[in-house]
Amino acid sequence: MLYEIKESIMLSIDALRSNKLRAFLASLGVVIGISIVIMMGWLLGGLDKAMQDTFSVIGTDMLYVDKWDWTGGDNWRSQRIRKDITVKQAEQLKELHGTAEYVIPNINQWATTIEYKGETYEGMTAVGTTAENVNTPVGNLQLGRYFNEFEEEYGSNVIVIGHLVYATIFQGEDPIGKTIKLNGRPLRVIGVVQKRGTMFFDFIDRQMFLPLKKYAGIWNIDKKSMSIGIKAGLENDLDEVRNETIGLMRIIRNLKPNEPNDFSINETKAFEKSIADIRLQVYTVGIGMTLLAFIVGIIGIMNIMFVTVTERTKEIGIRKSLGAKKRSIWIQFLVESSILCLLGAFLSLVICSVIAYLAATYLPHYYPEIGFLLPVLPTELFIIAAVVSVVVGLLAGLIPAIRASNLDPVEALRFD
Amino acid sequence: MSKTIIDIRSISKVYKMGTQLVHALRDVSVSIEENEYVALMGPSGSGKSTLMNILGCLDTPSSGIYLFNGTNVRELNDNELAEIRNREIGFVFQTFNLLPRATALKNIELPLIYSGVKKYDRLDRAEAALKSVGLEDRMEHKPNELSGGQRQRVAIARALVTEPSIILADEPTGNLDTKTGNDIMKLFQNLWESGNTIIIVTHEEEIARHAKRIIRLRDGLVETDEINQNQVTFS
Repeated sequence: MLYEIKESIMLSIDALRSNKLRAFLASLGVVIGISIVIMMGWLLGGLDKAMQDTFSVIGTDMLYVDKWDWTGGDNWRSQRIRKDITVKQAEQLKELHGTAEYVIPNINQWATTIEYKGETYEGMTAVGTTAENVNTPVGNLQLGRYFNEFEEEYGSNVIVIGHLVYATIFQGEDPIGKTIKLNGRPLRVIGVVQKRGTMFFDFIDRQMFLPLKKYAGIWNIDKKSMSIGIKAGLENDLDEVRNETIGLMRIIRNLKPNEPNDFSINETKAFEKSIADIRLQVYTVGIGMTLLAFIVGIIGIMNIMFVTVTERTKEIGIRKSLGAKKRSIWIQFLVESSILCLLGAFLSLVICSVIAYLAATYLPHYYPEIGFLLPVLPTELFIIAAVVSVVVGLLAGLIPAIRASNLDPVEALRFD
Repeated sequence: MSKTIIDIRSISKVYKMGTQLVHALRDVSVSIEENEYVALMGPSGSGKSTLMNILGCLDTPSSGIYLFNGTNVRELNDNELAEIRNREIGFVFQTFNLLPRATALKNIELPLIYSGVKKYDRLDRAEAALKSVGLEDRMEHKPNELSGGQRQRVAIARALVTEPSIILADEPTGNLDTKTGNDIMKLFQNLWESGNTIIIVTHEEEIARHAKRIIRLRDGLVETDEINQNQVTFS
């Protein structure tokens, strides 16, 4: 049987070579189908990577106590009437918390304007925080250092800027020691945070961190709600830390046992659901398109195989007269349709590799938010493409192959 | 006493042509022994092609018994019939029926592929067969690079390569000129003399006279079946 398959492969390649255009047109449906599968896998691969990056930006061992649920939550109205989380409450939580490694109060001033050398830059976010923030993912610096406890204590005029702030304002110039103005107040740049932004969190590189006390000197903190970052230390301790946080917050906020939480616990887990939704959308659209393309592909291949069987009726008769069994005949045609589809898969892989490389290399220059695209196709896609194409080939070739193997040898030999 | 290869007893073959039943063969009985040289003759419509198809196990009779080397062919399934065709019968056709895209050697290898002969053995045997028909210098030629006579020689080599019990030739010279036809008939005579059993289906007396025994069919019946007293042989 192995010989027959090997022999059939040689024969098929020969047959396909003698009719290149027809083979190409016949496999076009398969090419499109497999290309969609590959592109879908490629996009999802990129999304997954972006997701992982995002998780590491937020920190998988981090919880954030906020007034708002990051992912929207179930009831926007009920969240809106919640009381702000005050600096005092944040300090109380820090005081009482036993299981957390760090409790770090943050306060955000969105849409801040920066002045530097007479120019103004808009759309940045100032974050008032503590020196302990250096222990969260924000602490990974590209340049300089974080502010320390003394600077925190004294509310020094120091600031650590996000990567995009650095890139926008300094454009390669050494920023350390330079003074920028926020709301007219001069601050000395002492550090630059590494680039962390992803498609989901591009705002994150627009952040700037300054001591909470300094922040309070620039903006009124009484009218804002705090975001309390809590680092569990280990991912496994997250449940324990979460439980204690909720318990303490309920006490601090004076909630009665029957009242619901009037704050939200945000963590990376919350994003898994939104990512799952995106994946589902990609899958649904992708699978629909794939099915359609494969149906068209199978019909195309099946059609061409029927033509091939008819054209080769005489050959089938000759083979049968020489002792070919039914099995040999259907192997021959199944191998041929599979090879046709494999060629389609190969073509798709070449096309998609080029597209992926070009898209990942050049598009992010113009659209930075799609920087998650991978320049090379994941290896498993090659295997998937090969397997899928062979399955399609076998499906499409089945009926023509059975028809060929059932031809009556006498009739087939008479065919011209 | 020599061995009986083909033994058919009162076989008939009925076709359905639309609503009409066509009796291609009626109650035909023939027995052919090892190393016979038989010409199967008859005008068109006499049933000789049908008989040849049945003898070659390409078709089965509607009734009657066909014993091939003692095996009842009517009881065999498609696969077993294919095996008999592969091992026991060598076909030679009027239109050669070579695979156009395969070389002479590949064409000859084909029956060996179907019987599962290993590659090196296969090549050796195919080359030997090609040599035996005098075409050892045409191994890598494709059919369209060969003359009619050479193509028929390749076909004969292909029929011989499995060392079958019988060689069944259907109008083997029908597409060849007289001289080339004679060369082919001479080849058949050599094969017969070296011990092969040969059945040639023809409507030409010219061809039939080379055979040792002539069976004449008419309207699906055996008209005569006799030893050819005037056998013409090549020297």
